[in-house]
Amino acid sequence: MIFSLRYVVPMVALCSAVPLAAQATDPARAPVQTLNDGLLTIMKGGSALGTQGRIARIGPVVDQTFDIGLITRLSVGPDWVKVAPGDQATLVSAMRRMTVAQYASNFSTYGGESFSIDPRVETRGTDKLVRTTLSAPKGDAVPIGYRLRQSGGKWKIVDVYYKNAISQLATRRADFASVFAKGGAKALIAHLDDLAAKGGR
Amino acid sequence: MTIRSTTSALAVAIALLAAPVTAAPQSAPAPVAAVGQATPPVVALAPVTAGQASVRHHHHAKGDSLEGFNRVMFSIHQFLDRIFLRPVSMAYKKIVPKVVRTGIRHVFSNVGEPLVFANDLLQLKPKRAIRTLARFGVNSTIGIGGLLDVAKTSDFNLPHHDNSFGNTLGRYGVGPGPYIFLPLVGPNTLRDFGAGVGEGSVLPLTVGTPFDRAEYQAAQAGLTGIDLRAESDAELKALLGAAVDPYATLRSAFLQDRAATIAELRHGTKQTSSPLDDPLNDPGATEAVPAASASAGPAKPATDDLPADPAPPADEKSAAPSAPAQPSPAP
Repeated sequence: MIFSLRYVVPMVALCSAVPLAAQATDPARAPVQTLNDGLLTIMKGGSALGTQGRIARIGPVVDQTFDIGLITRLSVGPDWVKVAPGDQATLVSAMRRMTVAQYASNFSTYGGESFSIDPRVETRGTDKLVRTTLSAPKGDAVPIGYRLRQSGGKWKIVDVYYKNAISQLATRRADFASVFAKGGAKALIAHLDDLAAKGGR
Repeated sequence: MTIRSTTSALAVAIALLAAPVTAAPQSAPAPVAAVGQATPPVVALAPVTAGQASVRHHHHAKGDSLEGFNRVMFSIHQFLDRIFLRPVSMAYKKIVPKVVRTGIRHVFSNVGEPLVFANDLLQLKPKRAIRTLARFGVNSTIGIGGLLDVAKTSDFNLPHHDNSFGNTLGRYGVGPGPYIFLPLVGPNTLRDFGAGVGEGSVLPLTVGTPFDRAEYQAAQAGLTGIDLRAESDAELKALLGAAVDPYATLRSAFLQDRAATIAELRHGTKQTSSPLDDPLNDPGATEAVPAASASAGPAKPATDDLPADPAPPADEKSAAPSAPAQPSPAP
């Protein structure tokens, strides 16, 4: 009796540990996983998919995982409230197009890369930080962090951190600041359209 | 297509950031911080003013008091890069076999290891210093004067790490000073630039020949510069190709990266200045109020549930570089 318990108890503990761990998975990890899967898909699809094919694949993934609206508002900053609603909508769609196009053009080949997600998720206020690592057979592993915030009951990515150091949002704000200050929303939209035109070449 | 085998992980990562990134850290959020302060948006009632919120903006961005000068230098650099630096670099990469290029890179990197060692010591990191020294010893002997990076292999497991006198100064609290961009030199801060110049004279002064020879210095600067340009081409494209304002994008990425490196040296980890420090107050959320009164009524706050105020507590915690947000709690 006692003898068998010695084995049974740890076995039970072992079995239950797995579902427990699964339960404990932070909900904010899911969108990051979705994005990583989507990126691997277009990387592996590569030139067979073509740029348009990759855009078509990754577009819905970006819509599902990013809060593009919030990212746009934060990129523009406090003057967002002074932007006419029509221009606001244009900016958001330009931002979406740009995000999708960049993923499609930058993740165009596959060389054995893989993503891993750190199970420990940091929470502060309304936001969560999910840390991931991008590894490749050659080269150093690159840490990439995602900041998420809930929107409509779903966790959405609002910022990306390269090497845990460089915030995409901070960089984008710097990128927009001067043009917006000089020419307002219209100038920004014109610049973004130019970029989109170039990217589509 | 941008992703090349050697640098692929890096390129991919940068790409991830979709655009913004090659090098940078947290001081950049500073301009951003202004965002947090934008408290009085009730004005927004008149969305009409929208199109031309042309605030005359002779200001420079935070941390970039030389912005006017820097932008001119940046344009010159971009021009030189187009007609000379990039073509030469890409030709170098195409013509010179990879073994030779990495060999040259390793030799110059190895020559710099004693300086890394010295800075490890100055930063009171004895373990790191010993590893650097061991690495230098292994590569200088078995690695044939640094030609081969033997120390990096699993036999020794002594990979290279960067270190510099700029890092040491930062470690002891010397601020970055103004951002400086120079053609063919690239992004820098006053602290790092000065430290780099000082560091560059260490070997010529202590060892002398060949380091004090102009021929050596020209060869070193030329080869390492061209090699670096060639190796980072994909990253630069990913970063700047998607930028509205490439100058500001590069500056932001560079300064963020430097600030993170220094923060790591000062506090042990980059995490002390958590990315979550910046509250990221949604400018649109404040707008929800006027907007609601204007039209959409109660529906707006509900759908647009991007909380505006999540942040104030977080931002008090931030002793870190992103601290500029702090003034905002007052109003």
